[in-house]
Amino acid sequence: MIAGLGMTRLGKVYGPSSAQFAADAVRLAAADAGLRLAEVDGLLTSSGVTGGISVDLQRDLGLTDLRLLSHLQAYGSTAGAMIQFASLAVMSGTASVVACVFADSPLRPERGASAIYGTRHAPAGWWGLLGASGVIGANPMYALAARRHMLRYGTTSEQLGHIAVAQRAWASMNPAAQLRDPITVADHQASRWIVEPFHLLDCCLVSNGGIAVIVTTAERAAGMAQPPVHVLGWAQSHRGRYLRRDPDFGLRSGAASAGPAAMAMAGILVTDVDVAELYDCYTFTVLLTLEDYGFCAKGEGGPFVASGVLRPGGKLRLNTGGGQLSGYYMWGMTPVSEAVIQVRGQGGARQAEAHEIALVSGNGGVLDHHCTLVLSSDREAS
Amino acid sequence: MTVGPVIRDEATAEFFDGTAAGQLLLRCCPAAHYSEPAAAQCTTCGVTELHWAPAAGGAALVSWAVTDAKAAAGEQSKRTVLVIAELDEGPWWWSQLDGADADDLAVGLRLRVTFRRPSDEYEAVPVFVLAGS
Repeated sequence: MIAGLGMTRLGKVYGPSSAQFAADAVRLAAADAGLRLAEVDGLLTSSGVTGGISVDLQRDLGLTDLRLLSHLQAYGSTAGAMIQFASLAVMSGTASVVACVFADSPLRPERGASAIYGTRHAPAGWWGLLGASGVIGANPMYALAARRHMLRYGTTSEQLGHIAVAQRAWASMNPAAQLRDPITVADHQASRWIVEPFHLLDCCLVSNGGIAVIVTTAERAAGMAQPPVHVLGWAQSHRGRYLRRDPDFGLRSGAASAGPAAMAMAGILVTDVDVAELYDCYTFTVLLTLEDYGFCAKGEGGPFVASGVLRPGGKLRLNTGGGQLSGYYMWGMTPVSEAVIQVRGQGGARQAEAHEIALVSGNGGVLDHHCTLVLSSDREAS
Repeated sequence: MTVGPVIRDEATAEFFDGTAAGQLLLRCCPAAHYSEPAAAQCTTCGVTELHWAPAAGGAALVSWAVTDAKAAAGEQSKRTVLVIAELDEGPWWWSQLDGADADDLAVGLRLRVTFRRPSDEYEAVPVFVLAGS
């Protein structure tokens, strides 16, 4: 189960390195759980686009005699994968208290996000060829995926706009969110093109900061400080078709296999989900994941999200902290952190009334890596 | 519509020899399955005995996106149509579509591979044009 959550200040926070954010996040998570840092006996680290985090974090934290230590990288699915591995470790007795951390510091006062996420490949070899061809960074790849869904199912940019609008409304109730001013679908449509069919408001933020969670057993957590967040189910799916012929590209992701598997492990149906925290690097990623998880039928994601179901007060509590679009971009730790907050009942003005079951997705690469988690306030799904 | 600079490395040397000669080279296995040029083993049957084989150059449009590069002062902004195209041999390819209006595109539209260089010092890059153009 998840017994601790540590979040540094997130967003345009300049000064600390990624490793310093990571160390701070672990210290905060231990304190949140009511643990002394020295009680941590397992550490899983992960890093974002700027790297800078490794197993050396152990030394930064002064942790001695760890029983588990590794650095993981499966892009946006890493956070869920770390929690899965940590859960397996504590279940098997490999370790008893495992800290899982992500941090990144891509923002500099003097440069924009595109300078970081757009130009990390030297113009040589296969990567250089892709960039020389005009396909630079994630934006065009996801735009090509979204266009394919539009062509096949009639999905529209306005429908994607409803996702951005609903998440901004949720973000307005989250003090940690970077963007809190309400927007309309008209605002979404008027925002500049990034890569058609994506407007600016289809695309996630870039953030500095770090987030960590503490994973332990229910027995070990009995005396700790926070309400329990049990990890009832997990599954990964890594499709391995990036830059290859892929008839499912943009139409179906790893969520279609990992989601049902994780829910089966947890003993729940999609109709049991109280809160959905879905990876939202783009609005389109949310739409595709909703379909793949079975919240609506394949191809009906557009009309589904445009029906008002995602707005605060709507039928589905989705990305209740504003997600990566309006909240903060900590890769897979964005949906994980908000799910922990919601399951605990600590969401303040944005707290979902029913919060027994949270479904969490992580997505990495270009819809190539996926992890699903099912979190619950109860030890078994009721 | 311009391609960017790219230089060869060990893995891409033969491929760029091909583009310099006007060929898009694919990897082909003894069973005549085609794989994308970066493949180290056949994507159909997994064997590692691959040889280079030129694509015929025909392709069909799979998806497209449009970038609108920020214009420098005094210049017109450049709209670039980026596409996924299915080569007639099977593999998909990601590049630009030159000389087409984004409003006139449809899935399955016939395309043809051609090659562009930003300047003589850099490698030739495969791009697409409308078939028959």
